[in-house]
Amino acid sequence: MLQLLGEQQRHVERAQLAPVPWLYGTWGVAWLVGFLALWSTSPAGNPWFTVPGPLAAGVFGALITSSVVASAIIGSRINRGVRGTSTFGGVVYGLSWPLCGTAFALVGTGLIANGMSSELASIYFPSAYALMCGALYLGGAALWRDGGQLAVAIALLAVGAIAPYFGAPGNNLFMALAAGGTFLAAAVVVAKNPTRGR
Amino acid sequence: MDELDPVIHAAARLKITASLATLAAGDRIAFARLQELLGMTAGNLSTHLRKLEDAGYVEAVKTHQGRTPVTWLALTRTGRRAFEDYMEALRGLLGESV
Repeated sequence: MLQLLGEQQRHVERAQLAPVPWLYGTWGVAWLVGFLALWSTSPAGNPWFTVPGPLAAGVFGALITSSVVASAIIGSRINRGVRGTSTFGGVVYGLSWPLCGTAFALVGTGLIANGMSSELASIYFPSAYALMCGALYLGGAALWRDGGQLAVAIALLAVGAIAPYFGAPGNNLFMALAAGGTFLAAAVVVAKNPTRGR
Repeated sequence: MDELDPVIHAAARLKITASLATLAAGDRIAFARLQELLGMTAGNLSTHLRKLEDAGYVEAVKTHQGRTPVTWLALTRTGRRAFEDYMEALRGLLGESV
């Protein structure tokens, strides 16, 4: 009977968290392929082939935009059919992504307007976004008492902080492998064990 | 508490109560979503929910989303405590430490 109860509660949690691996997987592919494309724009980066800058920027932009749209759709399915005290937290958390994303972009363009070189910009933006994502996943971990999000948050903060030391374009390769790899690993772990890991 | 609460003890009501107990306090779940999670027919779920409501364990709030009526369900404080007591009694019967 106890087993039946535990299984029923795990079933409910699994059903609610079923979209989460898709969320991590989408971002994993976007970061892996997107940053590999950016790394491939310079002969100092990818030793096998070079991707024209505008094409790489287009691929990166398209992947990130698709991931944002996919996240909005997938995220809205996670807690569907539930409302109450957690709704406010969920809405604020959802809004925090575009708000923080815009703020970080404005800081970057402000730095460029004040003379930041394109090489420094290519170091600033990837790290800024990894740190932003890490901080927001920390918030998500606290909000939903989710150990998986906490692990992703710590990994992204570490990746964002370490990446500048590789210089450009090595930071893009590091971003692709470390951050993309973190998301893809999280997708596999959550797909195999879809609980909040409290 | 040594006896198991007969209101919760029926397998279907036990599944309903266990599912509702996974919600954060202050949250409610739509009838249709609960039905989907439990894989029960609407009639069967309604019957068992009524018994839980009569015992004061479940609160149902009826609203409309557009023109569609929606019933939102949650365990009451009494219901949540009854579920915790039930779990404790069950563990006691099985000789597990609580």
